Amino acid sequence: MKATAAPIRPEAVGKPRAGSAAGRFAVKLALLLYAAGTLYPLYWLFISALKTNDEFFAHPYALPQKWVLSNLSRAWELGHMGRAMVNSVVVSVLAVALTLLLGTMAAYVLSRFRFPLSRAATGLFVLGMLIPIHSTLVPLFIVMNKVGMLDTYASLILPYTAFELPIAIFVTIAYLASIPREIEEAALIDGCGWWGIFFRMILPLCKPALATVAILAFLRFWNDFAFALVFINSQALKTLPLSLALFSDGFGTDYSLTMGAMAIAVLPTIAAYLVFQEQIMKGMTAGAVKG
Amino acid sequence: MPTPLRSRGFIAAALLPALIVFILFAIVPILWSVYYGFFQWKGMGQPKFIGFGNYSAMLQDPVFWRALKNNLILVVSAIAGQIPIALVGALLLTANGWFNRLIRSALFMPMVLSTVVIGMIWGYIYNSQFGLLNEALSLLGLESWTRAWLSDPKINMYAVSIPINWSNIGPYLIIFIAALQNISSEIHDAAAIDGASGWRKLRSVTLPMVWSTVVVTLVLCIAGSLKAFDHVIVMTGGGPAKSTELLATYMYNNTFAVYRYGYGSAVSTMIIVISLLLIALNLLVTRRKNG
Repeated sequence: MKATAAPIRPEAVGKPRAGSAAGRFAVKLALLLYAAGTLYPLYWLFISALKTNDEFFAHPYALPQKWVLSNLSRAWELGHMGRAMVNSVVVSVLAVALTLLLGTMAAYVLSRFRFPLSRAATGLFVLGMLIPIHSTLVPLFIVMNKVGMLDTYASLILPYTAFELPIAIFVTIAYLASIPREIEEAALIDGCGWWGIFFRMILPLCKPALATVAILAFLRFWNDFAFALVFINSQALKTLPLSLALFSDGFGTDYSLTMGAMAIAVLPTIAAYLVFQEQIMKGMTAGAVKG
Repeated sequence: MPTPLRSRGFIAAALLPALIVFILFAIVPILWSVYYGFFQWKGMGQPKFIGFGNYSAMLQDPVFWRALKNNLILVVSAIAGQIPIALVGALLLTANGWFNRLIRSALFMPMVLSTVVIGMIWGYIYNSQFGLLNEALSLLGLESWTRAWLSDPKINMYAVSIPINWSNIGPYLIIFIAALQNISSEIHDAAAIDGASGWRKLRSVTLPMVWSTVVVTLVLCIAGSLKAFDHVIVMTGGGPAKSTELLATYMYNNTFAVYRYGYGSAVSTMIIVISLLLIALNLLVTRRKNG
């Protein structure tokens, strides 16, 4: 009975079965238009970045008649974007490394050991995901000001790490649940200490989880604006989003120059997205559900 | 085999670094903001204890209520915009074909872009002199529809909400697709045997199956909308005349533009209280509807 009454294959689930070919085509067309609409601002950013200012005003929609790269090179120089790019890389990379190290160690302990405070520690990290990040800007500013930490790389790296740790820990704990403990028990019997097990077995085994955490953390740090805006004042330490925001003030009417600067700033994240999109989509969604 | 004592040492050494960074930079600032919220303090000199003075001043400040209302506008627009669009999109994109994957990737794309860039691009789109939107309306012969989108206090909050919604649909889409794909094929079979299809099946089978996911996304929408800050700082700075002020920009402007550190701390504390209240309220309401 079941066999004959199974015209619905799993892969057909959710398809509008009753729809006609024309209906299905209309749906696809609508989806395509919506996707194009979503990407349009980005497309517009890139064509505008490659136009002269005159063309930008005269033909805002058209492709550039004269393709110019000078916006990009001028933006790079005038906006001190090389410096900003270095700062963004330093801060993001160090914060990612710290997040991975601290997050994996904590995740390993929380997933493998039962001890009096393990539940309290887990609960604290869960709580952390409910804290609206911006509510910590003012108190962090006040305290960092007191201890002279403002205007340092550390003033960004440590808060970034703190707010990324909950997601890093829970992604890694979920992954560790799929690794059988027998391997570790065997290693223990062979006389391997916990640190040996952690660095020589757990870290390499966790690579897929670490990759996801690293990509998400990197994107978040790279794009952060609020913390950089409040904690960084010195020109030499400005990160990319901060230098961009100042661009719109400093070069107010040179729109294609500003567009050039924005194009430079988004290229790395778009490249990362094209390469890692499956991981990014899954990871950000998991992070959102838990956060 | 490591003695329990060695295990205890490992637990402490592996867990404490994460815990310390997290507590110092995510939890302790909240306590500081509660503390400084009771003081009148310009950032210099001796803070003056004024009890709940900041809070009563806040409750009497029309700008605070305006900011709260604007945040609620964002919450409502997220619930009315992001969730339905993501749900419809997910229903149409459930199957895993190449076309659907492509559309999903496109819709997710804005999530990886810097919020500063998104704010600046949309600032240009809305610009009243050369903005794309007014230009497009003129081209279509709808001159009378053109507006000063970001400076007209009647509409600018809605204008601001569109880019925020636009860039946040991706994760909800993926969450709903995952939920729809989790509905087992037996349920689809059963619905087919009972003769349910089309709207009837959507209403009586599919939507009830993903209702718990909808509840999760409602909480996410609330939390996400209260986090809004970057887009508004970049597009309007909270102006003109405080018409697009949000709780977070209200806090920022009070602290860093007019140096009312104590007051800014009180607003920070208020943001935490409000977001926890809203999340609790949402859980209460949806639970009742469910039961």
